Amino acid sequence: MSHFPIATALRDKTVLVCVGAGGVGKTTIAASLGLRSSVDGRAALVCTIDPARRLATSLGLAELGNTETPIARELFHAAGLVPRAALSAMMLDMKASWDHLIERLTTPEQRARIFSNRVYQSVSSTLAGSQEYIAMEKLRELRLERSYPLIVLDTPPTSHALDFLDAPNRVLDFLDNEAARFLLSPVAAAGKVGFRLFRLSTTRASKVLAKFTGQRTLEELANFIMVMSELNPDFRSKAEEVRALLTNTNTAFVIVASPNLERLDEVVRLHTVLLQNRIAVAAVVANRVHFPVPETAWAEAKAFPAPLRDRLLETLAEHAAAARMDQRGVSYLQRLCLPTPVVEVPRFDLDVHDLTALWKVSRYLVGERITEWATE
Amino acid sequence: MSFALANRLVFVTGKGGVGKSSVATALALGFAGRGLRTLVCELNVQERVSTLLERPQAGPAVTRLEENLWSVNITPDEALREVALMRLRVETLYRAVFENRLVKSFLRVIPSLQEVLMLGKVVFHAQEKEATGSYRFDRVVVDAPATGHAISFLMVPQVVVDTVPPGPLAREAKNMRDLLVDERQTAVVLVTTPEEMPLKETAELCEKLRNEARVWPRCVALNNFIDPRFTQEDLQSLRASSHVLSSLAQVHEARASQSAAAVAFLDHKLGLPVVKLPRLFTPEFGRQEVCALSRCLGPWLGDAQ
Repeated sequence: MSHFPIATALRDKTVLVCVGAGGVGKTTIAASLGLRSSVDGRAALVCTIDPARRLATSLGLAELGNTETPIARELFHAAGLVPRAALSAMMLDMKASWDHLIERLTTPEQRARIFSNRVYQSVSSTLAGSQEYIAMEKLRELRLERSYPLIVLDTPPTSHALDFLDAPNRVLDFLDNEAARFLLSPVAAAGKVGFRLFRLSTTRASKVLAKFTGQRTLEELANFIMVMSELNPDFRSKAEEVRALLTNTNTAFVIVASPNLERLDEVVRLHTVLLQNRIAVAAVVANRVHFPVPETAWAEAKAFPAPLRDRLLETLAEHAAAARMDQRGVSYLQRLCLPTPVVEVPRFDLDVHDLTALWKVSRYLVGERITEWATE
Repeated sequence: MSFALANRLVFVTGKGGVGKSSVATALALGFAGRGLRTLVCELNVQERVSTLLERPQAGPAVTRLEENLWSVNITPDEALREVALMRLRVETLYRAVFENRLVKSFLRVIPSLQEVLMLGKVVFHAQEKEATGSYRFDRVVVDAPATGHAISFLMVPQVVVDTVPPGPLAREAKNMRDLLVDERQTAVVLVTTPEEMPLKETAELCEKLRNEARVWPRCVALNNFIDPRFTQEDLQSLRASSHVLSSLAQVHEARASQSAAAVAFLDHKLGLPVVKLPRLFTPEFGRQEVCALSRCLGPWLGDAQ
């Protein structure tokens, strides 16, 4: 295992996927990785799904669209940086990406039936797992069709990081639903449109279900599943490709976590499940860690007269308490995520929201700086 | 600003990691402490409310935690069972149909069904009455999903009303929608920290709640609030003498002024009453800390200010 795991990953991998629970700073880490790669000479694309537009703000863009946008050189210069390769960013628009996918897979006639179905509307925007599915699909498309040396994918802010792995399967289940086919068992008539909701109207199960959802809901759903099932082979083969991409040796995951102890079981579980799925994890990033203050600071504080002395001691005590808690979290991760290295990024004074700050984060990520209190 | 949270149904939301669960728990504890029978709902998550209060896990059944306080972790499966049983009235029929593996996997894919079921159970408890005709709970506090998902969660009833053809599901959804948009009965409490990103998301969420979901944000809990501590002279003399102490003090003051700016922003931009919750530096976050937060929420609970 490399001593500088993220530096190695930035040099060798072609896909980096940032995963973690909502609110831990995934988007910041993803943007910071992309920035680092571009400054170091490997062009990168950062792709986020964040509906809250955090990445755009971090990269100094007012708005990020569903297409790849290059980050202006002036922004780099303003931060005192020189990009040796291009950096691009995009924000996935779920609805547009679904429409795009359907357009590519269907005949105009199929397309019309899908787009006009009310169930499709909600699948493409609200079906649980839909975001995750389309994110993976987009990643597959970008990797196969574009030539970026590195793609960094920021994943949706799930409350449970594990949902991310499960979600695409849920969507595939939806599209290829054994139960649906059983219940709705279409009897294809001679014509193209003709199918009857044979069992739907006859089985006891579907009668009971209809009582619950209403008969028409079942029918609309049946219609939708019928059209979509024609596309199933395509969805399946794409899913296979995604799977292959994730387990490819050129792909690695970066788990982002806050050092807050009560949330760490989930991080450990995520790490275990990724490894079980033969997915490489480059590093666990413990983000926004309070680094311990050098011991000498206490003596220095005591040398000041009151009331400044008391103010300093109170501040030192608070900081030490926070640092102790975070350190417990970090060692917990180190113990339970072996052999994956844990990389610490300190909590900065203020929010990370420009290239200067993202650059600073990247220096910790690649191991250039390991203590917050070292003078510049 | 004088203000009291008098709504029967309260959703607590905010960006992930800002302390939603702690605030929801503190709020519920506050209601209960004032003699209001209160139910806290968590939505299919790793349970935190009971843990914070240092009680055994509540699980998917309404469980009494202490005087006037109940908790439930709503799961879609359990909610479905309850709804289906209410409609079918026969347990064996429910088992035969809904616990059938095929039917189960089919139900999983009905769009928004999980959210409708969970929200349905929340609404059920908010409207649940005793045999005497009085409400079973005076307050229902929901630890709602984080910002990105909060809007889609609270809009689910409307989406179902718009997309699902008339039928029992659509009828349920309409009942939910009507309760959610009724500002006398339902309120949203926003939780944020003073940092730029959470504030920005809070502002966006607030606007969407008002304009799209029409579920009313009533107040903001500003968590991790930091008061100023050092004077300008302090900072001056530190700058000359100690790098570490000077930067610690500067960080403290930067966070304090960020906190003050956040209050101004929330007050003026969003026009919502703000309660400041101080950042707590304790090795554990448990019952004692929740009680401390609960005391800070006093003004919303009708305490004299």
